[in-house]
Amino acid sequence: MATYVARNGIGENQRRVEDVRFLTGHGKYIDDVNIENQAYAMVLRSPEAHADIKSIDVSEAAALDGVLLIVTGDDWKSTGYDPIPTKSAVRTFIDGSDMKVPPHHALAIDRVRYVGQPVALVVAETQDICRDAMELIEVDYESLPSVTHQSEAIKEGAPQIWDIAPGNVCLDFELGDEEVQKKAFADADHVITLNMVNNRVTATPMEPRGAVADFDPETGKFTLWNSSQNIHANRDTIADVVLKIGKENLHHIAPDVGGGFGGKNGVYPEPILILHAAKELKRAVKWINDRSESFLSDTHGRDQVSKVQIALDNDGTFRGLRTESVGNLGAFCGTVGSFTPTGGSSRTQGGPFKFDGIYYTAIAPFTNTCPLDPYRGAGRPEGSYHIDRIIDYAAAQLGMDPIELRRKNLIPPEALPMKSPMGLDIDCGNFPEVFEETIRISDREGYAKRVEASEAKGMKRGFGVCMYLECTGGGPKEEAKVTFLDNGKVELSVGTASTGMGHETVHAQLLAGHLGLAMEDIVFRQSDTDATEIGGGHGGSRGLEVGGSAVTQTSRQIIEVGKKIAAHRFDVDADKVEFEDGRFHVPGTNHTMTIRDAIDSQNDPDNLPDDLEPGCMNISSVFERGIISIPNGGHACEVEVDPETGTIKVDGYWVVDDFGTIVNEMLASGQVMGGIAQGLGQALMEDIYYDESGQLVTGSLMDYALPRADDMPRMVIAYYEDAPTEKNLLGVKGAGEAGCVGAPPAIVNAVCDALKEYGVHHIDMPLTPEKVWKAIRDAKATG
Amino acid sequence: MYDFGIKNPTSIDDVKAALGDAEDGQFLAGGQTLIPVLKQRLAMPSDLISLSRVDGLSGITAGGDSISIKAMTRHAEVAANADIKSAIPALAKLAGGIGDPHVRNRGTIGGSVANNDPAADYPAAVLGLGATVITNEREIDADNFFTGMFDTALNEGELITEISFPIPEAVGYIKFPNPATRYALVGVMVAKFGNTVRVAVTGAGPCVFRVPEMEQALTASFSPDSIKDGLVPADDLNNDIHASREYRAHLIGVLARRAVAEANG
Ligand SMILES: Cc1cc2nc3c(=O)[nH]c(=O)nc-3n(C[C@H](O)[C@H](O)[C@H](O)COP(=O)(O)OP(=O)(O)OC[C@H]3O[C@@H](n4cnc5c(N)ncnc54)[C@H](O)[C@@H]3O)c2cc1C
Repeated sequence: MATYVARNGIGENQRRVEDVRFLTGHGKYIDDVNIENQAYAMVLRSPEAHADIKSIDVSEAAALDGVLLIVTGDDWKSTGYDPIPTKSAVRTFIDGSDMKVPPHHALAIDRVRYVGQPVALVVAETQDICRDAMELIEVDYESLPSVTHQSEAIKEGAPQIWDIAPGNVCLDFELGDEEVQKKAFADADHVITLNMVNNRVTATPMEPRGAVADFDPETGKFTLWNSSQNIHANRDTIADVVLKIGKENLHHIAPDVGGGFGGKNGVYPEPILILHAAKELKRAVKWINDRSESFLSDTHGRDQVSKVQIALDNDGTFRGLRTESVGNLGAFCGTVGSFTPTGGSSRTQGGPFKFDGIYYTAIAPFTNTCPLDPYRGAGRPEGSYHIDRIIDYAAAQLGMDPIELRRKNLIPPEALPMKSPMGLDIDCGNFPEVFEETIRISDREGYAKRVEASEAKGMKRGFGVCMYLECTGGGPKEEAKVTFLDNGKVELSVGTASTGMGHETVHAQLLAGHLGLAMEDIVFRQSDTDATEIGGGHGGSRGLEVGGSAVTQTSRQIIEVGKKIAAHRFDVDADKVEFEDGRFHVPGTNHTMTIRDAIDSQNDPDNLPDDLEPGCMNISSVFERGIISIPNGGHACEVEVDPETGTIKVDGYWVVDDFGTIVNEMLASGQVMGGIAQGLGQALMEDIYYDESGQLVTGSLMDYALPRADDMPRMVIAYYEDAPTEKNLLGVKGAGEAGCVGAPPAIVNAVCDALKEYGVHHIDMPLTPEKVWKAIRDAKATG
Repeated sequence: MYDFGIKNPTSIDDVKAALGDAEDGQFLAGGQTLIPVLKQRLAMPSDLISLSRVDGLSGITAGGDSISIKAMTRHAEVAANADIKSAIPALAKLAGGIGDPHVRNRGTIGGSVANNDPAADYPAAVLGLGATVITNEREIDADNFFTGMFDTALNEGELITEISFPIPEAVGYIKFPNPATRYALVGVMVAKFGNTVRVAVTGAGPCVFRVPEMEQALTASFSPDSIKDGLVPADDLNNDIHASREYRAHLIGVLARRAVAEANG
């Protein structure tokens, strides 16, 4: 049964094939991986934000029955392992000098620098024994002054975290032509300035991090099952750089992963620690983080404070934009952490709007907090928040209409392709059309009535929009490998990593569509260094863009080989053979051969022309994209605010996304909805908060507020499909992150619109009820 | 968790005996508070005395002027009970607003009231309605029951067996949920019995409390407008990352007015 033939599988709302497994409890997550005779590991974490480790006494713990191994920083030092490296693409200061990279060892050596930092590894027969042992380890800390906020960290006299980084600065950065920006400012009628906070959040995947390590003393080979989104690159780092065991000796696998959102991209200490333990003990070792540890030790995201300035004329024409950001890095560099506030936040400055000049600068300081690394969007949500908040704020200050301001300044389609002032290659799109469609679908006619109804209840209603410009990222190369198995199944291995977004469906859908195969015959493999040679994993909305393109490319190569096999059978030239709907045929003849037939023929040399070997249809190919794609779209949002309590209800949500070609609308919309949920969470409630002493106050779900189903509005999601990109084989632009890029500014804009009669034009995220109430109260008092 | 033993008595007498036998026994009701506490190793009882199989500890009985709820009655049962819904609708609503379906199907009124979490909902109902807490030893007035943060008048080993709620003439409960836990950041119960009005506030302070100033104002005129701002000083209220004491003080007034409006239908 060839299910997906139309448009080669593109445009089919194939339902997710993985859901039955996930929803009926048959997913295999990291805690479902169990190796015979495995031991258990737990990590003793620092209770101090900044302290010297005077001594660690493990004698009582080590003597406890069932304790197998305890590793401290001193032990780690003596192993000679290297620190975890950082791979940020931005590596030099503005003046050309090298960024400061402090040694990130898997265990704290001599000093701890954030609450939650691993101090010792305990391995025992059971988790409970690990806990007992941890209670018996005595660490003598001598507290040092600490600093958690990035703005404080760069002040004179702030506690210094690393000797190599004076003033706590890891890196600074600039992009754009400051002279052009300054001239634009000088020429403009107005310059409007707003300081804004992009709050610190954490990915909070449903499944906490965890790993199982095994070591085979006979072969010297390691296996690591890891709840990770980046199997190949992290194998290379762990095996080649840190442990120096050679990447060929580490088989790295991710089982089903219950969410990641970037928080599982990086190389973390714990998997490295248990690989060491497995080798020491010649036994498998399992470690599973609990939820509280996740808050302390999963890399956090965002955390930028910015001064944003827009220059514009009396008629509303945008002239210049200047953003100065300070982005918190935490105590170490993270795997690519320092890229987010620098390069990552710079590229989409100015959004899809025309400017004479844009200039972006950033400082990335260390603080005594958990390291930061990418979180869904990693820099683009920050960039989008900058431009879309300053537009609304400027509109409010100057008595202009924020919708008209956007309308007036959007880059017209005639201007494309173009290079943005930030160096982005914007190849295609129709921003005005996407924007107008967003307004059209958002039921503006009914708005006045809804305002009236709100007022009758004593509520304030507001409407806000955001017109975001995004860019993809992550590894530019991807492999897709197809193996036709003897049992009739088709194994498809792709180096991308799905942590729930549905690659198992969409990649199979593409392969089935291209080749005219049945979905149910496709067996999907991912996140396994044995399944594909290379793998870019997860990140930068690359799954379809690069992975789907690789599947398409491999499919095409299979068809070409199939044509040769068919040509051999029909005794014609291969270029006479066509392929359609799963059949090879020679036009004008009755020669046809199904793809199945070709597959069945491929192992017998008699069926093959001389230049083909048996197994020739089993093909792996690597697709490499050139320039990153530019998703864009409009978000519109309606909120109702209770001015007495400050409570916000998001009451309507409309989105038009230009993701290029839509391969599977259900999957795309799932991504958008999930992204909006995370954007709404950031805008209204999520906040990682450290107190003055560096303790994490929001260390559990009792204090870290996450949105729930009933916080979510009804969402209307539409797609603009008339501008597929030519940067990849599918015309797709990337859908994974856009939701949380557009949602925070749209929601905050809507709230400020609701509160404009009080003179409230900005509140920093998260817009908690208390902050909203205070803003109204203070505005009333002064106004 | 640390190791512990578990006992499953089937009568109240057995409960006493089981407790007497244990070195450091603790009652286990729905486990919705106790189990997380154990998991975090914040308590170390030698034995848990499970109340689940004790005869006659569960159920709702409606009388002429009161409704009695046995200690092991689950929140979901209270929320769905027809007698409570018609006689004390705010109580059914309160129970239906606790946690999530899982919590409501496990958690019990006895466990909640015995625990006296400062942010729990039930204490507002017990104090706001002037209920009587009945134990295996005695009867305790609501006004004498809640003695402080996580503290009650219960003696060591004293078992709540039921709680008796007088049926009010009018009643309202408004909860402002904590955005993270959805316990009460502030919750206000207002109940009118003839010429007396009771106002109880949970979530805002270290322990549920009454607001005599509001009660007097509402006794004079049972309307939202009777409640002026600033009747509860902020000084002694909770102050945390979710709400400052000023905000809590403000919310008490707003929610009390809304509770009166709800009571007035
Ligand atoms: C996710 C979640 C959300 C929640 N949300 C809310 C909420 O919104 N509002 C709210 O009010 N509560 C909330 N709760 C708490 C819930 O209502 C619990 O049911 C309640 O705290 C305890 O009841 P329990 O039956 O589970 O008691 P247990 O946890 O079993 O026991 C609690 C304590 O009471 C003692 N105890 C139990 N029964 C008796 C008795 N009959 N006599 C004497 N002592 C006894 C136990 O020894 C223990 O010390 C939530 C809980 C969870 C897990």
